[in-house]
Amino acid sequence: MILLPAIDIRGGKAVRLRQGDFDQETVYNEDPLEAARAWADQGARFLHVIDLDGAREGKPANLGHLERIANELTVPVQYGGGLRDVGAVRAALAAGADRVILGTAAYTDVEFLDACIASWASRVLVAVDVRGGRVSVAGWTKATQMRPEDVIDRMQRRGVRQFVYTNVDRDGMLEGPDLDEVKRIGEIIRGRFLYSGGIGSLEDFRGLCSLRLVNLAGIVSGKALYENRFTIAEVHELLDAA
Amino acid sequence: MIAVLDYGMGNLRSVEKALERAGAEVEVTRDADRIRAAAGLVLPGVGAFPKAMESVRELGFDELMRAHVDAGKPVLGICLGMQLLFESSSELGGAEGLGLLEGDVAQLDAPGLKVPHIGWNEVAWTNGTPVAEGLSNPAAFYHVHSFAPRPADTGDVLGRSTYGTEFASVVGRANIFGVQFHPEKSGPDGLALLRNFVRLAA
Repeated sequence: MILLPAIDIRGGKAVRLRQGDFDQETVYNEDPLEAARAWADQGARFLHVIDLDGAREGKPANLGHLERIANELTVPVQYGGGLRDVGAVRAALAAGADRVILGTAAYTDVEFLDACIASWASRVLVAVDVRGGRVSVAGWTKATQMRPEDVIDRMQRRGVRQFVYTNVDRDGMLEGPDLDEVKRIGEIIRGRFLYSGGIGSLEDFRGLCSLRLVNLAGIVSGKALYENRFTIAEVHELLDAA
Repeated sequence: MIAVLDYGMGNLRSVEKALERAGAEVEVTRDADRIRAAAGLVLPGVGAFPKAMESVRELGFDELMRAHVDAGKPVLGICLGMQLLFESSSELGGAEGLGLLEGDVAQLDAPGLKVPHIGWNEVAWTNGTPVAEGLSNPAAFYHVHSFAPRPADTGDVLGRSTYGTEFASVVGRANIFGVQFHPEKSGPDGLALLRNFVRLAA
């Protein structure tokens, strides 16, 4: 299991939102590259870069930042936000993304999803962002009636093998994950997944490790890292020992 | 100067930047004169072996690399670039390689696991090698591959990774080095490995 520091980009800056709310933003760095560099220098093994502008606008808005991060730093990068057509995915991969995260369009455009899986299966993750127990899309601005379990099942039947599961209600709250929820999701995912949302302390990593989910490949952390609740080295020590 | 050989396979920018950070003066090039002038060569690459080898031959890199190695100057192959150092690969019907190292390249045998193998994996150094100087044993590196080399001489295996089964992830002989993983994506340890190589080329 690895730790993935999150760099969310909005208006050219590294920010964090609270519960996915665009009106509750904290700027942590004027330059996303410098935010990313700090995590890379501390030994991060993967970076989770989200284009918040892209997620809302429906097309990538921060590929320049992605390119700088992927080229300047010696760490693999996954990128998501606004990747809604094959051209956008190709552009993100060309800009240096090692993996891409599909959201909205993976739900609404079956041809797009199939094309991405056919061309880049091992480099594609699908975001399952959950709010109030239901999947939310379009940069968390649109609620759906879909249950995450049903969505995951449907995606798996289309060949998706990697997911990023986010509990948006917990995001930015530092109150820890719902371990029962993570366990339930882990048990239906046949491939691998990353968990995101609410990580606030080393205890949360211990809790997730204690679930012994072999398919939980990584944990995304944003605010807690920016606020120095723990260091990357401390998390690595804990995860490597688990 | 370190020349990163450009044969049109994949994004070379991250390799270039990482070598710069490792203290090298770097040129990404396919120009024969620049390659002859280089103190060290890096052969990167992602993609399929046969097509890569075709480009390498068309650009005359095979002759240039052999001359470079014969002159005692160091070469580093990364990922597919490392596989090309061997005599052959069975990928996509098979093809001959550069033959700078003895042995072949075969599909990763990882029963029950997903191939390609993507992710961080520990590398245990086996025979002492200058590129591992100062690194812990084992040390973790970022791997992305479906094939792996099978050196004919176990003395050429400098490091091993395990994914389902054990495979040679670092190979080399004298001034020839190859890594199956991506040091340019492997954080501080990846940079340390590149720095060791850059030092050999000084």
